[in-house]
Amino acid sequence: MLSTQERIQVAQVWDLIAGHEASFGAELLLRLFTVYPSTKSYFKHLGFCPDETQLLTHGQRMLEAVGVAVQHMDNLRAALSPLADLHAQVLRVDPSNFPLLIQCFQVVLASHLQGEFTVEMQAAWDKFLTGVAVVLTEKYR
Amino acid sequence: MVHLTAEEKSLVSGLWGKVKVDEVGGEALGRLLVVYPWTQRFFDSFGDLSSPNAIMSNPKVKAHGKKVLNSFSDGLKNLDNLKGTFAKLSELHCDQLHVDPENFKLLGNVLVCVLARHFGKEFTPQVQGAFQKVVTGVANALAHKYH
Repeated sequence: MLSTQERIQVAQVWDLIAGHEASFGAELLLRLFTVYPSTKSYFKHLGFCPDETQLLTHGQRMLEAVGVAVQHMDNLRAALSPLADLHAQVLRVDPSNFPLLIQCFQVVLASHLQGEFTVEMQAAWDKFLTGVAVVLTEKYR
Repeated sequence: MVHLTAEEKSLVSGLWGKVKVDEVGGEALGRLLVVYPWTQRFFDSFGDLSSPNAIMSNPKVKAHGKKVLNSFSDGLKNLDNLKGTFAKLSELHCDQLHVDPENFKLLGNVLVCVLARHFGKEFTPQVQGAFQKVVTGVANALAHKYH
């Protein structure tokens, strides 16, 4: 459960990302694939070296979903239910991969926001994204 | 054993040369204690950890962070023998401090975020990759003597 302060922090950071979902998402995926190459096993349709267009397209899709989560922090389960079904029935991404994605997300935020990336923001986003990951893997069994 | 390519070693030492080890250590430890508050369990004697501000400005946190990062810095000079370099510290963390090795991974990840914060665009995916390998290697070395 996010506190009021934490929700404010999450929303503040999202304001900085909104409108740039594609580029943030592309960088997120590039970092994920570079730092944790085993994660590419879930993206074989993108090939071994996904090009910029592919990263932008898929990155945008992922960040737009994060945006949905931000708009529905009070009710993640309902808002993310279709995505949770998708992950449980089709994608079946091993849950151990979500912390890897979250780490890369934090690095994207830190490297872009730098001085503005306060410890409170880092804490709130880590808690928020971890909550999203829990919801996305909840229907696995 | 951590396997860095020649390029990765160069990226690591290139960036590390510009790191203010004293400051970054305190910031990394502080952020660990705020973002993952259960890690405060090891620092009962550190005084006021009651808020993010209190933690980030706590002099014991800063001092200990500096100590930890200086030790990490030594590791960077011995990437081919991290297990040997950290053997004594590994024994200490197991036998005296009783720290769950999972915490080494958490601190390593927070350190990578702090470096990203300081270096911005310069902290490219390749640089991140190299540093994540290093922090994983250090974490494994610190866990190596656990029994």
